[in-house]
Amino acid sequence: MRWQFFLYLTLSFFSAAPVFAHGAAIEHRRTSAIEIRATYDSGEPMANAQVTVYAPSDPTKPWLKGTTTEEGTFVFVPDPDISGDWDVKVRQSGHGDLVSIPVENTEATTAANQAQASDSWRGGNYTPLQKAMMAALGIWGFIGTALFFARNQSEKK
Amino acid sequence: MHIPDGILPPTVAIGGYAITGGMTWYSLRKISRSHNPSEQIPKASLLTAGFFVASLIHIPIPPSSIHLVLNGLVGVVLGYFAFPAILIGLFFQAVMFQHGGLSSLGVNAAMMGIPAILAYHLFQLHHSFPQGERWANAFAFLAGGGALGLAALIFTVLVVTTIPAEVNAELERRAIYIGLAGYSVQAVIEGTFTMLLVSFFRRVKPELLSDAIDN
Repeated sequence: MRWQFFLYLTLSFFSAAPVFAHGAAIEHRRTSAIEIRATYDSGEPMANAQVTVYAPSDPTKPWLKGTTTEEGTFVFVPDPDISGDWDVKVRQSGHGDLVSIPVENTEATTAANQAQASDSWRGGNYTPLQKAMMAALGIWGFIGTALFFARNQSEKK
Repeated sequence: MHIPDGILPPTVAIGGYAITGGMTWYSLRKISRSHNPSEQIPKASLLTAGFFVASLIHIPIPPSSIHLVLNGLVGVVLGYFAFPAILIGLFFQAVMFQHGGLSSLGVNAAMMGIPAILAYHLFQLHHSFPQGERWANAFAFLAGGGALGLAALIFTVLVVTTIPAEVNAELERRAIYIGLAGYSVQAVIEGTFTMLLVSFFRRVKPELLSDAIDN
């Protein structure tokens, strides 16, 4: 019986190693994640806003749901097999926005994308200076209209 | 306050355009029947400029910030010119600054324009009371604050009743109700601003206040 006991002990040592083992292993792989940052036009982050991600393969069904952080950011890893425009919708109290992020799955473009990957944000709002310029031009359009009709009236008089 | 694209279902957006179309036609008909329709255009154009930039000025009210809408003020000063003025202002806000969207332009115009017309009629009621600064100021305050309050109420009802299935409705509703509390503070600010400007016009140039268009 002793040899049977040793055989059992030996077998169980190899077959059920994870049960007895205290070791741990971490595997890793590199993926291309997309981070979005949602802000109101005043510059404040849209904290705890609801995020819905739609895959290009089925733009009507939500692919992933979540909420933004206190800083208004949200990270997700798109399925590399589905290429096309991934739509991300952020919504909070009836306000929000929708952005389309193009994702390509060919190896060449993936390599190119990784090469381009950087910390800079793309898209988003205009800078305050741009806004001020646009507002000034808009106001000038309205003032011009006012002056035009005021001139017509003074000519009639 | 502006509803962006993609928040409302298409039927609501189309309904908004239908209401805005009807209101624009009615307002233009009222304007064309006045004794000199083009006389008010310079004033309307300047007020539209004010309405257009008001949404860019942020007032910090914790936990977030608000921007002035001024639909009540536009209504009180412009009368029936207010609706086309707000529609034009909203169009430029949408295409230049993404405040609101083009698909929701009809809903936004109706949401802010109809309270503006009501504010005008509310302000005109001060003629039924003894002449004097006090009544005019009181009605200007009520018109300015009430128009914003009514617009906020329409906004709340619209977004609460059309929360899509993929959104956590409870979380969204809580955020909307917190927003509504902010709008009540804004109503007081806009009411005060309208009162101050009406009081200024009454002293400096009373004919600027549209008493003569309603016919």
